[in-house]
Amino acid sequence: MATTTAPTTSSVSSTDPTNVIVETRNLGKIYRDFWGRKKVNALKALDIEVRKGEIFGLLGPNGSGKSTTIKLMLGLLFPTSGRAFVFGKDATDVAKNERIGYLPEESYLYKFLNAEETLDFYGRLFDMPASVRRERTEQLIQMVGLQRARRRQLKEYSKGMTRRIGLAQALINEPEFLVLDEPTTGLDPIGTREMKDLILRLRDQGKTILLCSHQLADVQDVCDRVAILHQGELKELGRVDSLLKVQDVTQIHARGLDEKTKQEIKDLIARSNGEMLRMDNPTTTMEELFLDIVRESDQRPGRRGSGA
Amino acid sequence: MRLSPDQFWTYFEWLFNQYALIQGFLLVVVLAILGFVIGFVVALLKHGPTEGFLQVSKLIRELFVVDIPATSTRRVIAIARLAIKEAIRKKVLVVVAVFVVAIMFAGWYLDPQAQYPARLYISFVLTTTNYMVILLGLFLSCFSLPGDIKSKIIYTIVTKPVRPTEIFLGRVLGFTAVGTLILLLLGTMSYLFVVRGVDHTHEAMEISADGRSGVTTLQQFHTHTFTLDDLGEGKTNETKGHSHVVTKVGDKIVVGPTTGDLEARVPIYGSLRFTGRDGEENTGLNVGYMSEYQKYIEGDSLSSAIWTFKGLNASSFGSELNYDMTISAFRTYKGDIVTPVGGEVIFRSIDGSVESERYPFKVKEFQIDQRSISLMGMKGFRKGEPVSNLDFFKDIAPDGNFEVMIRCKDKSQYLGMAAADLYFRANTLPFWWNFIKGYISIWLQMVIVICFGVMFSTFLSGPVAIIATVSIIVLGFFGFFVDDIVKGTNQGGGPIESLIRIPIQSGSGTELDLGNKTLETSIRIVDKSLLICVQTLSRAIPNFIQLGTADFVAYGVNLFGGLLSRHLTICVGYFLMTGIISYFFLKTREMAA
Repeated sequence: MATTTAPTTSSVSSTDPTNVIVETRNLGKIYRDFWGRKKVNALKALDIEVRKGEIFGLLGPNGSGKSTTIKLMLGLLFPTSGRAFVFGKDATDVAKNERIGYLPEESYLYKFLNAEETLDFYGRLFDMPASVRRERTEQLIQMVGLQRARRRQLKEYSKGMTRRIGLAQALINEPEFLVLDEPTTGLDPIGTREMKDLILRLRDQGKTILLCSHQLADVQDVCDRVAILHQGELKELGRVDSLLKVQDVTQIHARGLDEKTKQEIKDLIARSNGEMLRMDNPTTTMEELFLDIVRESDQRPGRRGSGA
Repeated sequence: MRLSPDQFWTYFEWLFNQYALIQGFLLVVVLAILGFVIGFVVALLKHGPTEGFLQVSKLIRELFVVDIPATSTRRVIAIARLAIKEAIRKKVLVVVAVFVVAIMFAGWYLDPQAQYPARLYISFVLTTTNYMVILLGLFLSCFSLPGDIKSKIIYTIVTKPVRPTEIFLGRVLGFTAVGTLILLLLGTMSYLFVVRGVDHTHEAMEISADGRSGVTTLQQFHTHTFTLDDLGEGKTNETKGHSHVVTKVGDKIVVGPTTGDLEARVPIYGSLRFTGRDGEENTGLNVGYMSEYQKYIEGDSLSSAIWTFKGLNASSFGSELNYDMTISAFRTYKGDIVTPVGGEVIFRSIDGSVESERYPFKVKEFQIDQRSISLMGMKGFRKGEPVSNLDFFKDIAPDGNFEVMIRCKDKSQYLGMAAADLYFRANTLPFWWNFIKGYISIWLQMVIVICFGVMFSTFLSGPVAIIATVSIIVLGFFGFFVDDIVKGTNQGGGPIESLIRIPIQSGSGTELDLGNKTLETSIRIVDKSLLICVQTLSRAIPNFIQLGTADFVAYGVNLFGGLLSRHLTICVGYFLMTGIISYFFLKTREMAA
């Protein structure tokens, strides 16, 4: 699999209305009890757009309204106020589902089926002919790496394998719009990286992706735009790169500087009335370290020399 | 076994003459209005009057314009296949194993010395199968969809282009397929159990000196006597509901397999009317006990019961006209208690110009009195003149139509009968075909249970859906109560009249007296309208007693095609009704709520 690349902006379309895949207008949801009494105001007047070809992230802590938003978009819930449109159709319109793929938070699949049967079943739900189903099943099983477990019932699958088959079922219809709810949950670091690479590849193929996660690193790695929700309210919406940019801080990366040069840089900053915040050697991420070790181990099996 | 007249209505008689079509139409209208009103009230509370009305209208429009036309056979089959796989992988075939065990140990609790072993065996297998399959349908249908909703698997289904119609159809089809498979297995085992259970033969012994009669050996707790004719052919007497053909082969007498126990008699029923002691038509006498089922005629008078038969075909009979009677007697005095009350049977043409001689009979209480008359050379009367060479199908029933009159011979005694108490036996159909029809009847009941189970499971959890479905089955048993109130058989009036009677302490046996005739009439009119609505709604609940046909098979009576067609029509009606209700529940339900 290819390594993670930085989010690109080339495929993100403009705000042309014809390029809007999802649009919510004043979308709100109040959960009520049996007697109709208000239990919780899960979502308040949400206005967002997901544009064609982008990876849109929904961020927020537990209970912030991310899943509620996704369920409203998919027609699994009905709005208390406002409306949600997908492909220009009301979110409750079944016909829109022809062009959507959905990976739920946990892979809610029939445990008594095996991988092939699962994909065949979901293929039938898209009214796909047998030959197309067979072909897609084969492709997807290869893509998610479940060749050896294709005939095993899902109840025997590990959590990571279940996520993979869950993703495969979401892709069975080659959807234009993919909704991924916590796609990296339950995956090991390699699986997480593969999932992120796959998401980027799908975006590069022209698919639009709505990603809901509280794994901030995942969102930062793959999303073009994000909406941050808290207590059912939209707190921030915009491009990841511009949201994360700290405007009044300058960052310089250089290699091979001696102490004298470093001191000169510090002096220069002082002379320019700037404030030296930090100058040190960068550290890699734990994810990068782990992946390096695994890659190295694949190439040269045996005990690795201590780096300590 | 006694049939009620409604059981031998033809299909079209039931549909048109007995107003089934109109009742069905009324039910559709009442349910549609009720559904619309309930839907509108709910939508009104949620969205206000205008938006609420639009929402309900949109929902109805989508059913007919969008969802039914867009229903895909492939998706329905996919969901059905899934239901089958689910049932099989969850080891539903255990039911078959339970049935095998029940049959293996049947000998422990079925009386081997029973009067009619075949009837006992058939009743046992049919009843056991019926209960098992209905329970199976109940559990399969009530738990599957709530299970998917609870485990959230439904998220991955309804986010695909799956219509509510497809979810309902797929589930019903899948569970029905599983039930059908199990029913086939149970049916095959049952058939073998019955056929092998009653199959036996005897050896001839104690043969008389002339070799023409004798007694058989003891087998299965009984023996027979037999006689042979000059050609060496004969028959045993009937014991335990069967007899054997006996033939002389060389010097040896061979007793054949059983006959008469596994068969399907084809009865031909007529319509019944009564005349009183003055010969004028009346409704028959009520002797004030037992049920309303039979009416009585008075002895030694012109009081008579007259059956009219239509369209009998000579080709359905051989040289004899076979008929069965199940007439009851009511004694106003004990008299000679050993001698049964007597009567006479007369066959006559529709215009009454040709009559047969009087065929006397003695009442055989609680038994089927099987009788036959020769079709040729009958004695009788033509325009009052005695004749001795009547041809039944030429002189009495030239177009297949004729009357049968029964009179009671004993003074001050009474004979009781209903329409089904006299019928002609045309051909005898194979038992296996009647057995299959009995299983089709069970299958229809299973499908109805599955439809209701799936319907309730669209908005209730599994256990509650089971309780709701069982409640519907139990409620169906009380449909007659509503009918009785509407007909006025149950006194006390309708709901408003009854409500008024309570505070004013008015007895239900008296006329309601409020001192204002207009008010009383108005109350009765409103009550009648309410009761007709309730009666119509009660048709929405299946009556499994009426749908049960095990007795037909057990008692060797051909299960009429008309009756089975009616049950099939009723089943289709419930399928459509539950399908539409399920659609609206699925369409308006928040799957992730």
